[in-house]
This record gives sequence, structure tokens and C-alpha cells, in this order.
Amino acid sequence: MNNNFSFLPISKRLFITLACLLFLTGCWNSRELDDLGIAVALGIDKTQEGNYSLVVQMINPSEIATEAPSTRPPVSLYQSEGETIFEALRKMTLSAPRKIYMSQLRLLIIGPGLAEEGILPTLDLLYRDPEFRTSFLVTVAKDIEVEALLSVITAYEKIPANKIMDSIIAAESHWAATHGVYIDQIVSDIRSPGKSPILTGILLEGSEEAGNNISNVENVDSPARIHVDHLSVFKGDRMLGWLNEDESKGYNYILGNVKSTLINFPCEEKESGKIGIEILRTNAAIDATKTGSNPSITVTLEAEGNVGEIQCDLDLTKPETLQEIADKAEEDIKTKISAAITAAKEQYQTDIFGFGNTIARKNPTYWKEVEKNWDEHFKETVVKVEVKLDIRRKGTIVQPVQKKG
Amino acid sequence: MDNNVISPRQFMYLVILFLIGSSILIVPTPLAKSADQDGWIASFLGMSIGVLFILLYHKIAVTIGDRTFIEATIDVFGKWFGRVICFFHLAFIYILASLVLRNIGDFMTTQILEETPLQFTHILFMLVVILGARLGIEVIGRSAEMFITWISLLLLFLFLFLTPQLEMDNVQPMFGSGIKSMIQGSFTVMNTPVLEMVVLLMIYPKVKEKTKARQAWLLGLLIGGGFLSMITLFSILVLGSDLTALNEYPVYELASKINIAGFLEGIEIIVAIVWMLTIFFKLIILYYGAALGIAQFLNIEDYRVLLLPLGMGLIVLSIIVYPDVAYFETFVRNVFPYKIMHGLLLPFLLLIGALIKKKTNLKGKPALKGKVDRNVQE
Repeated sequence: MNNNFSFLPISKRLFITLACLLFLTGCWNSRELDDLGIAVALGIDKTQEGNYSLVVQMINPSEIATEAPSTRPPVSLYQSEGETIFEALRKMTLSAPRKIYMSQLRLLIIGPGLAEEGILPTLDLLYRDPEFRTSFLVTVAKDIEVEALLSVITAYEKIPANKIMDSIIAAESHWAATHGVYIDQIVSDIRSPGKSPILTGILLEGSEEAGNNISNVENVDSPARIHVDHLSVFKGDRMLGWLNEDESKGYNYILGNVKSTLINFPCEEKESGKIGIEILRTNAAIDATKTGSNPSITVTLEAEGNVGEIQCDLDLTKPETLQEIADKAEEDIKTKISAAITAAKEQYQTDIFGFGNTIARKNPTYWKEVEKNWDEHFKETVVKVEVKLDIRRKGTIVQPVQKKG
Repeated sequence: MDNNVISPRQFMYLVILFLIGSSILIVPTPLAKSADQDGWIASFLGMSIGVLFILLYHKIAVTIGDRTFIEATIDVFGKWFGRVICFFHLAFIYILASLVLRNIGDFMTTQILEETPLQFTHILFMLVVILGARLGIEVIGRSAEMFITWISLLLLFLFLFLTPQLEMDNVQPMFGSGIKSMIQGSFTVMNTPVLEMVVLLMIYPKVKEKTKARQAWLLGLLIGGGFLSMITLFSILVLGSDLTALNEYPVYELASKINIAGFLEGIEIIVAIVWMLTIFFKLIILYYGAALGIAQFLNIEDYRVLLLPLGMGLIVLSIIVYPDVAYFETFVRNVFPYKIMHGLLLPFLLLIGALIKKKTNLKGKPALKGKVDRNVQE
């Protein structure tokens, strides 16, 4: 042997070789894939006694990866209770076959009871523990137990948690009446004095019993379906209630969350036909000015859209017609924005739009005065809404199909 | 003693690595805590004050010639009083080295290897550092030249991929936190890393071309300090000042926010290479400085014999240097008097002593220079 080691005596060579073995023992706390129970959804609620009750949706790897699916469900549900969330998580090993691994978590569903009681103490562990990433959505179960919601098996997507996450993301970018919120955003919003948080609601359509059965996915039209709902309004970390569809959309218009959506309105007062406008992109800005003793907020929205659907006899070749349509659509957007503002001001009396934060940026000295009881001042704040919509195109035909000549 | 030298360019890289190392983990949280959305301005402010310190340190280096801090102090203040000052300086370097080692250990055990005992991370990390310090300053300088590319690329990668998530609203109102809190924030940066740069006086004699060296030092501060302030700025822009102040390691949180079209995500550990490498270089400089200084303190010919025992001591010290992370956080906040004593007062004392000595010597023997002085003395 004529290598670099040859100058050393055999005993030393042996010693060095053996010493290297010390470093080959691998990771101290390594966990192989077959030791992990990969959780995709986590549901948290409070029991009658004030304990936390946890529901974890864990994927069933052999069922997800297989080419020939058996009748076993792709996910399993495990439950436990504890005085803290941590205790409940560790207690779960009593029923679950493996230790639960949280890094792939997609979804957190908070039970309605817990949401009304206050969620901030719950979020501490989820933001503190290094096993939780920040890339999961936080949602609220609407009028249903978390357990029932997570038991539903979905047809299109094998993993229900992925289905819900995809639905939220698709709905937020194409329908705009909902908004996915990640853990760090909700923590930041709750801690911020100038903005109250909102969360997406999840509800169940159909019968609870049917969802929990594999036969649910054997039907083309599943008897139980998970549905993404509108936004829930929070004050601090307590849930107050829900916005309806128009208000949720108005909320998203104000915050600039709307990527694409559509607007419906009747052609004429008397006629039954309707016009649908497709919104392609929006750009929102919130500005704060102070007039007298009260601050005033200006919400400016610039949007661009296309004519999507015309059900009545209009002459679309005239620029005036398009202008008229744009004016009406602007009016519709304004109505939705006003509805959202009215709901926040009068019904819930909490600033979900972050107007307070805008004032804090634009007028820090005034903000220091009102910071303590901002929600009181928020009710008095004047909000001006300016909407400008440009309709650029009308699709592949020139006139409505109804129009002759 | 080894006669290895490093080029001014290599020295500049070492300054950059020294500034980023461990500060990247420690600094953003207290900055956002004291100056809110203006944390990054406070960081720039602290770094600009650093220019004054570099000018002071350079002045000292020129005055003491090609001697290290330890050699010069013993010369100027005599065998006994000089050694007392040296003792404090060496203790400062050694304790700082243990703190830096503990930083990476704490990071690993908090975020990645939760169940691995601290000792094992420290031992493995220290083995490489001892090996590096054994090879001497020239090898350290050259490897810095190699790794700086990786560190810059990874940092630019981090900045670039975070641009979609920047929220300009998060830094407004600019200067809104007030002068007082910004100055308070700048003390954080002065504590870690600006005043720690005094340690570089241990390797400064090895730098060729002293005129260029001062420029290299200043440029190193500009780049290293710039990176550090940018990290703070990005933390505030992406996470907001509130969450930056809430997180133990905002930079890691920042890296985990990278998400490019859903397929490039969860790459925080790749970005974590930045602080593993920079902390490695910071530790190696501190460790080399401590070993060299102790060798000179004890009149030992070759510092290399000290490396292994000092390393063992360092691992033990790093475990007992603070009992828990809350203690360390308090320490970082209130450390200014300690840092100012070692980073400003002792060097300043040395400068005055050296200047007076030079003057009196010049009067007596106008033709003689620093090196000859020493021989005469001994």
C-alpha cells in the first residue's frame, strides 16, 4: 500500500480508521420515514371541562403511494385531550401508531367554541415549536365540530387537508370571497393594535354520517362535501361573527387581495337579463388624512376587466355602452366595499382592514393618542371609497348573441 | 513563531466573515425590539460609528508596529502591569470565543437537532476549528477567500427570493421610532460585532501592505455591516418588526419564508450554511487570536501546542458560560460597559502608552524604531 498513511505505523493507522467510525453513527435524533406519522391537518377545540381536544389527520402512506388502492381510507384520524396542546399531542401516541410529525402540516382548523373564547394562547405552541413550519393555513370550522369536518373523505384529492388548502387557494384567486391566512400573519394581526384578524371558514355540506365513510368517494356526487366559506371577523383573538359573501368580497377589495373575480348586475332595472364582468387585476391603496379631530381614510381601487357575459340586447360596438357598463360595475364594487365597512363599523365594531396601521404609518403622533381605544375611534372614522374600473375587451365576439342586425 | 502573511484582500474577507458571524443570529431581534421598524437604520448607525473604531485600531496597529496587542502591551507597560492588562484582554477573547461557539450550539439545538446534547455539536464544531487554527493564518485567509463566494451567493439568493414577499408598509413611518430608540438600537450593533473587532489586532500584524490594510478593514466593515443591516431590513420588511422581535432566530424564519411557485420551499437549512460558515470563521479568528496571545503571554515559542488543551477548555467553558438562553439575552442587552472596556478603554490605554513611549524613545535615540526598542528593553 502506497498511500498517504503508509508512513504511519500499523497501530496508528488502525487507530485513525477506528476513530473515524465514531463519526459514522449518524444523526443523534434521526427519525426514519417509517417512524413518522405525517400529520396533514390539525383540529383544535375546547371541551366542556376546559381542556384542549385535538384531532389529527394523519396520512396513510401505503394507501397514498400504492398503484392498486384497497378499501382502506387514505387518511386516519386520531384524537386526544389534554390541559395543554402539548400534552394532548404527546398523549396522542396512546392511540396513534407513530409519533406525530408536524412539518408537513397543511391546515389548522379551530373549533367554533375555541374561536369565540380566544385563540392566541393556542397559537403559542404552533409558532414556538420548531417542528411546525409557518406554511400552513389557519381556518375556523363554521357551525360544525372539528372532528366531523376532518372525518370527511374527499374524492378528487386523496388527502382531505390538501383538498381544503387547494380549494382556499383557488377560491381566493378566482372568486375572491375568501382569503387564506397563514400562522405568522394571524399572530402578527392579533398582536397588532391597528388591525383585527380575519380567518377563512370551513363548513360541511351534506350529511355528517355519510362523510365518514369510504362510500362517500364512491359516488360521483359525494353526499358530504367540504366547502370553503366566507370570512370570520375577530376582535383581538376572539371570533365575533361572520361576513357574508358580498362583505367578504368587499373586504378583499379594500385590502387588495382580489386577483380575479366577477361582478354581476342587471342590464336594466326592468329587464331580467344580467351582465357579468370579469375582473382581471386590481390595485388597492389605503390612505389616511386628518381633517379636524377625526381622521379620514381613503380607499382607492383601480381595476381592469373584460366583458364576460351579456344576457341582453345591448350595442357593444359603442364606447359609451362599455363606459356605462363600467360605471355600473364600479357602483357594484363600491356597494360591496361599503357593505364590508358598515359591517365592521356597526355590527362588529372592530377594524379588520388595518386602517389603524395606516394611520400609524401616516400620522404616528395622532396614532399614539388613539392607539389605546382605537376601536372606539374606528367607528367615527370617515371612509371615502374611490373606484376606477377600466373595461378593455369583450372576448371573442363583437356583439351579444341576442342582438340581430 | 510562524511568519505567514495574508493579503489585504484576504483580511477584508476575514473582516466581513467576522462581522456577519454569530451577529446574524443575535442582532436582528434586539434591533427590532429597541427601534421597531427603524431597526435597520439603527444597524447602519452602529456600523457607521464602527468607522471611528477602525481608525482607532488602525492607529494603534501603526503605532505598535508589527507586534500583536499582547506583545505591545507587555512591552509598553512592563512585564507585570502589562501582563495584568493582557490577562483581561485574553479573557475577553477566550470568553467571546466560547459565546460564539455556544451561539451555533444553541441555534442547532433550538431549530434543528433538538434532542442532541449541546456538547456533541460543540465538540464536532471545535475539532474543525482546532484543525484550522493549527494550519495557521495563511490557510485561514485563503479558505476565507474561497468561502466568501458561497456566503455572498447564498445571501444574495436569500435576498432575491424574498423580494416577492417584501411589504414596504412594514418600515413606515421611517425614523418614526425616535432618535433615542435608534441610538439605543445602535448600541446592540456596537456590542456585537463592532467593538469585538479589537480582536483583529491579533492578526493585523500578519497583513501585508499596511496602507492598503486600513482600506481593506473599512471596506470589510462596509460590506459586512451592509449585509448585516440588509438582513435586519429584510426581516422587518418580510416579518414585520413585531414578529422580528418575537422570533429567537428571525433569519431562519426569514429563510423558511422562501417559496418560489410552490416547489422551491423548505430550503432554510441551505441558507443556514451562511451562519455555519461565518461562525466558523469568526470562531477560528477568535481561537487563533486567543491561542497566539496566550502563547505570547507565557513566552511559548509555538502557539500550536496550546491548541488542543485550549480547545478542550473552550468546550467546557461554552457549556457553563451561561445557564440558559434568557440569561444570554439579558447579557446581550446589558453588555455595553464590558464591551466598551475591552473594545475601547484598554486599546486606548495601549495607544497612549505606546505613543508616550515612542516619544521618549525618539528623544533618546532618534534613529531607532519599534523593533529595536524591544531588544533594548529586554
